[in-house]
Amino acid sequence: MKNKKIISVLMVGALMAGMLTVTGCGGSSDGDSSAKGGKTELELFSSKAENKDVLQQLVDKFNETHEDVTIKITAPADAGTVLKTRMAKNDMPDIVMMGGDNNYTEVESAGMLVDLSDQDYISNIQDSYMQMVYDVNKDKEEKAYGVPYATNASGVIYNVDKFEELGLEIPKTWDEFIDVLDQIKDAGEQPLLMTYKDAWTSLCPWNSMAPDLQPEGFTDDRKEGKTTFVGTHEEIVEKYLTLLDYAQDDFMGLTYDDGNKAFANGDSVMIINGNWAINQYKSANADLNVNMFALPASNDESKNYVTSGVDVLLGVCKDSANEDMAKEFVSFMMEPENAQTYIDDQFAFSAIKGVEQNNETVAGVKEDIANGKVANFPDHYYPSGFDLSALISEMCLNYSNGMDNQENMDQFLKQCDEKYDIANVD
Amino acid sequence: MKKKTARKRPAVNKVYYIYVGILATLFFVFHTIPFLRGVLYSFTDWKGYGDWNFVGLRNYLHMFSDADTGNAYLFTFKFAVIATILVNVISLILACALNAKIKFKNTIKAFYFLPYMLGSLIVGFIFNYIFANLIPQLGKSLGIQALSVNILGTNHAIWGIIAVAVWTGCAFNTLIYIAGLQSIDTDVYEAADLDGATGFRRFTKITFPLLAPSFTINMVLSAKGYLMVYDQIMAMTEGGPGTSTTSIAVLIYKKGFGGGQFAYQSANAVMLFIVVVLISVFQLRILEKREEKLG
Repeated sequence: MKNKKIISVLMVGALMAGMLTVTGCGGSSDGDSSAKGGKTELELFSSKAENKDVLQQLVDKFNETHEDVTIKITAPADAGTVLKTRMAKNDMPDIVMMGGDNNYTEVESAGMLVDLSDQDYISNIQDSYMQMVYDVNKDKEEKAYGVPYATNASGVIYNVDKFEELGLEIPKTWDEFIDVLDQIKDAGEQPLLMTYKDAWTSLCPWNSMAPDLQPEGFTDDRKEGKTTFVGTHEEIVEKYLTLLDYAQDDFMGLTYDDGNKAFANGDSVMIINGNWAINQYKSANADLNVNMFALPASNDESKNYVTSGVDVLLGVCKDSANEDMAKEFVSFMMEPENAQTYIDDQFAFSAIKGVEQNNETVAGVKEDIANGKVANFPDHYYPSGFDLSALISEMCLNYSNGMDNQENMDQFLKQCDEKYDIANVD
Repeated sequence: MKKKTARKRPAVNKVYYIYVGILATLFFVFHTIPFLRGVLYSFTDWKGYGDWNFVGLRNYLHMFSDADTGNAYLFTFKFAVIATILVNVISLILACALNAKIKFKNTIKAFYFLPYMLGSLIVGFIFNYIFANLIPQLGKSLGIQALSVNILGTNHAIWGIIAVAVWTGCAFNTLIYIAGLQSIDTDVYEAADLDGATGFRRFTKITFPLLAPSFTINMVLSAKGYLMVYDQIMAMTEGGPGTSTTSIAVLIYKKGFGGGQFAYQSANAVMLFIVVVLISVFQLRILEKREEKLG
């Protein structure tokens, strides 16, 4: 019995220690815009930690030219949740920079953002990206509550030197793509590297193929319950499973980080991911020559879109005391020169007409993006509780366990519909 | 009895009350109140922000028709049962070995206690590396197919997590068992020796029964800990591949914070709390009865 007492004392001690650290974390996010020493301070809330340096650079430039204003950047971890919490407390920043995803939808549909449709720069934005923002607005209202700024691209990233060595051409159709995969396999090289230990990467091929192959208006119809995954997504799943034939052994066990290093060191000829990963390849092997092309899921060339979404959009919050200044900052950011600075630093693309990403690592998709031949990530339209990556990862696990493809596909699509319906309710 | 109550109780130093009072207040404010709020939210449709309404028992009823929750409970029970048994068996063996008169006993004890000092996230990341790189390399060089893949990417991912959980968990359990063993009077062993009980027989008839209090504590604490397993899984598989290693705590976190089901997962958390309490009480009943019988 003595032991028990010692343990309970220990446990209380541990609990106390835990609680003290928790309380130490709270109450550090007081970001009210306020005048300090005659200067007006505006808060810029950014949900992307990766762009903090270049953002600071641009903000400094803005602060220099505006003597009476200072912009302060807040970029917390788990920004989506933080922003929603602050929304509940009615403690919104002045300017937000966030992705064009379901977090944006929640902020926008709560009526937190100012309509920027009357601003000059709106006419300078590529229609396809403006449309993507409209699509995630509440009731698809065609008003610019968010201004698309930087965009990303998902597709096939390939090792240029290996492509030349093997005499391969960039495939434009699905058949050509399979042909390329076969040629690589025959040459004794690894065609594709998959990093499915991190389940989110299993979404990349899906996001690249689904826009080309799913029926038009699928995401809307599915939301209203007019259609199902069963009966519309068989071709996508079939092609997905075909791609797995070209993956390395143990593709379920490779992590994103390890896979990126392996690809950078030439372990495979291609990898399906997005422009955001290129930085990682370059830091693992600075001499690597990579380029990107859109995954050609269809044999109809005109349907093979580049999957590209709004990575960062700008918004001005309704209750800001300095709305005019916030608007001025947004138009400053939208100046082509500044937009160029941003995308050059981030390997990203710009939503502004005429601002082009000239880095050769993404040259293969540049033209399609400039021409607006892009489709948004389909998962931006799925309900936020619908965890498609877990379902795909389960399908891939079944595949690696040798389950029959037909059975696997039927089971997967049925699950998609069930889980979608559950997530769509709340 | 009367005599006892009539006797004047000795005055208790006020410092004790102050000390307990501070702790009790802190505990109430930072532990009990959030817990009660969680219970309250489990009867609403709160998303984690914004407005909410009471929805009665809807969240609780929904749990019984939700396959994700069902699978998470199945996984968690399987994990908890296997891990609890393994940890206790291995710890007991280790404790007996470390209690014997061997050389470098204290050094070895410190060595075994080390995993307990490391954060479980760090342990998880280290083993992630071992499972992803070292073991597959070993498997390939030895030509063993089963070892040449990352176990965390297969159907057997649960065993990878169990291995790590057991490795970490043994430290604390062994410590309790050693303490228990040291409290056994050596006279008892001498008497047993005279009666001819040695080796395994001595263990089953003398050592193990006398370890009953330690055994109770270890069983209850490890079962509780493994029913609430979270950090090891988040560090190693994040519930994958698929949802095959999603424990209840992982499900609550993922769906509650990432999937906008805050209220529903609060209900799930309340349910998990009730389940853990029931199991712990049940274990205590059975094991304490056993202690009494032996005592």
